[in-house]
Amino acid sequence: MRLSLRAKVARPVAALLLTALVLLPSALPASAADPLILRVGTGQKLATLNPWHSITVADYEIFQLQYEMLVSFGQNLEPVAGFADKWESSSDKMTHTFHIREGMVWSDGEPATCEDARWTYQFVLDAVASETGYVGSGYLEPYLMNAGLKSVTCTDPQTLVVATEFPTTLLTQAYVPILPKHIWSKYTMEQIGNADAKGFFANEPPVVGSGPYTAVQWEPGQFIRFARNDKYWGKRGVPDEIIFQTFSDPVSMVPALKSGELDYVRGIGADQFDALKTEPNIKTVEGFSNGYTYLSFNTRGNQKGYQGSTSALADVKFRDALGYAIDHQKLVDAVFNGHAVPGTTHVPPYHVKWHVEPATPRTFDIAEANRRLDAAGYARNAAGNRVDKEGKEIVLRLTWPDSEAGHSTDAQFIQGWFKELGIGVDAFVTEEAKLSADLLGPEAGGPANWDMYMWGWTGDPDPMSLLSFFTTDNIKSGTNDAFFSNARYDELFKLQQRATDEVQRHAYIDEMQQIFYDAAAYSILYYDSELHAYRTDKFGGWTSQPPDSGTPLFGYGYPGYLALTNAALASPSPSAAPSAAAPSASAGAATPAPSGGGTGTPASGDSGMLILLAVVAVVAVVVVGLVLARRRSGSSQEEE
Amino acid sequence: MGSRYLLRRVATACFTIVMIVVLNFVLFRAMPGSPERILLGRMPGVTAEVLAQTRARWGLDKPLFPDQFVAYLNSTAQGDLGFSYAARGRPVTEVLAQHLGPTLLLFGLGEILAIVLGLTLGSYSGWKRGSPVDYVGNAISLILYSMPYFLLGMALLLIFSTGAGWFPTFGMLTAGATYDNPLDVALDLGGHLALPLATVALGLIGQYAILMRSSVVETLSEDYVTTARAMGFRDDRVLRRHALPNAMLPTVTLVAINLGYVVAGAITVEVVFNWPGLGTLTVDALASRDYPVLQGVFLLLSVAVVFANLGADLLYGVLDPRVRT
Repeated sequence: MRLSLRAKVARPVAALLLTALVLLPSALPASAADPLILRVGTGQKLATLNPWHSITVADYEIFQLQYEMLVSFGQNLEPVAGFADKWESSSDKMTHTFHIREGMVWSDGEPATCEDARWTYQFVLDAVASETGYVGSGYLEPYLMNAGLKSVTCTDPQTLVVATEFPTTLLTQAYVPILPKHIWSKYTMEQIGNADAKGFFANEPPVVGSGPYTAVQWEPGQFIRFARNDKYWGKRGVPDEIIFQTFSDPVSMVPALKSGELDYVRGIGADQFDALKTEPNIKTVEGFSNGYTYLSFNTRGNQKGYQGSTSALADVKFRDALGYAIDHQKLVDAVFNGHAVPGTTHVPPYHVKWHVEPATPRTFDIAEANRRLDAAGYARNAAGNRVDKEGKEIVLRLTWPDSEAGHSTDAQFIQGWFKELGIGVDAFVTEEAKLSADLLGPEAGGPANWDMYMWGWTGDPDPMSLLSFFTTDNIKSGTNDAFFSNARYDELFKLQQRATDEVQRHAYIDEMQQIFYDAAAYSILYYDSELHAYRTDKFGGWTSQPPDSGTPLFGYGYPGYLALTNAALASPSPSAAPSAAAPSASAGAATPAPSGGGTGTPASGDSGMLILLAVVAVVAVVVVGLVLARRRSGSSQEEE
Repeated sequence: MGSRYLLRRVATACFTIVMIVVLNFVLFRAMPGSPERILLGRMPGVTAEVLAQTRARWGLDKPLFPDQFVAYLNSTAQGDLGFSYAARGRPVTEVLAQHLGPTLLLFGLGEILAIVLGLTLGSYSGWKRGSPVDYVGNAISLILYSMPYFLLGMALLLIFSTGAGWFPTFGMLTAGATYDNPLDVALDLGGHLALPLATVALGLIGQYAILMRSSVVETLSEDYVTTARAMGFRDDRVLRRHALPNAMLPTVTLVAINLGYVVAGAITVEVVFNWPGLGTLTVDALASRDYPVLQGVFLLLSVAVVFANLGADLLYGVLDPRVRT
């Protein structure tokens, strides 16, 4: 058969294309000699390697892998050896001695001594004493200042002595990375703290650290790659490398986890989280997050200097009554498919040791809310709407920052419930920066021009910061955005800060939660959950921190990374992994998973369906096209 | 006449760019909220003094006009777009430059593919109007044209990545990979590029093919084509020499203008495939309120559109002498 010129060209091209198609994928999977890499996906940006600029959970995760804290956190959040291997406090708990591990070195081989720790703590003291009063993002200094840090000295290369203003046990929870003095002391405070200063120290890789892994590569906007620090004093981690990959849209992490391009993801939506539960070799984990979402009230109402819309907001009886008209469980179900916990007090249940439930919780009951409003003297007018003591109809403004778009669902529910009380709600979103400015009261130079708003707070390993937001002092700083002021609360804050006996401190913190709850300045809507997922076919040994209510990674310290095992070596019997990974057998039975391989995962139900649909669509288009063409050519022939 | 036409076009473009620079200043200052609050975020313990300090440091204590405006014009003219809030310590120009490459690669290749395939398909369909190729090609073109990028991208992702496992699902290169030779890099890049490139190209092919087809169909009814045929020229010669040059005119405009919108189009494709280009940068900057970077992206985008238009005008002038007057 003779080939036309076209066919002569087309055949080799087609052959080439086919070969390319076959070759391309085979080039992708890693060969056996490649390092064992743990790949972690996060929706948060990886913004900095300079810990003083850390803000987000991802930022913290980055620095705590490479820098030890003086005392670190264990699997149960207990204090464990970090930069120091032993510590003790004087009997008055105002002098604290830390023994720095002997023979420890930084990843560049320089000795790591007391002087590094002293320099770091002194840097914090200097920053607080400076003109600005903070360094970088200002997030790290409070850990030491809340513990009353006064002075710090080295009595010998292995002994750090810290003096505090008052008795404290909080130094073992100080979330401050100890930095290598021989690197950092070369820069001024301005160069470390001010990102646009001349000669800013971005701490580019390779980073010199003391933790189990140190950063060796940073592609801003994409990923940070860590390599195991062979100089690390403790247990050798199983992954040779760890890569944190950032995603603009967390949804994109899900296919990457399914295909095995990621081993761990943090920050996926509730829908995807539920969908991942049935995937083979993938396990989902829901942990308490150390924070909450709240509805704040402008508790100064329309007092002089405050621009709330009604005096009723300043009345605790009014706010208390509204609390009965909020169905927290309903919000959790509607917004998170049930993946959150209805809120009560401002110390979230993440703090298992400190969280208490209020003595008289406000349970959802519209009738009760109406009764309480009647009793408090907020009568309905002829139109059925509640009026305040000045006879003005109550219509409350409810807003939230545009960065928290999900709150529009919360707002719709609240609007509906308050309507049943005869109270109108004008719900709208506000640009975040504008909201931040509107919220401030006259004490902080703002207009306090709002009635109710929703946002969230995140805490630390110790409840100290969450408690501190609502002292009277902090009205001026803006964290006390409800303008809550209670002399007993302020007193208790100082007492618990200085309490060295845990039982005693517990009693103080209990009372603080109760006072804040009763004042109804905040309605804690819910405690958000941390929704994570990970693959079980590459790494095993996933351990949550704390084991029953936390997540394996993105906790405090780095125990989760060191607990990992190589799944290929750990489980010689192939049956172990699937049975642990896939609790529901129905989906797995339909599409049996090939063991090993690794090139890709089999088409799951969803994508199999899609492929089928795509094929049907293409065939349909071709057939319809052909039929139309035929009819058309037929008719044109008739015309001729 | 030629230089007059050129001068007028260039002058218009320059004037537009100046207006864009001014608008960029006004737009970002007109936003609600105070920049120092964005800078400080919800930092605990912010006092009035700290706020004042921050304002002074960023020059926000000076009047908007003339001080801030003059400073802005000055630094913009020098190519200094300030510092990114989010990528701490990095100049905006550096951030933009870093993300520009991947976007140009993806959309440059996408455009070339789409131009070659789209125009070929379009002219062939137009030439063989009523043939099976025309019907099928037109139907597919319409579907592709009307399908949003992200939907097309997600479908490809589900079928070829998570489904068949042929291609990686995200990124431009495998993070942390070590390569023995340039071929490995090319293969890795090619694997990552395949699906986003297919998405971009398919979307554009539809658009170009439809326009090219209708343009060819229109041209074929012109007298000069009939004349050419009557003179006994072969079909493909009539198509190439007589019909196509005239049919190309509207397509050139579309392609040139499209080039300017490359970045805008990039957003959804890049986000779906987590491609590290200007699209993901824009989304990230929006989410983190990185106004200096957003301002830079706006400037780059609008200047790109202006230049693409200028390019189209000039090219048009070359192709069609009638518009030069």
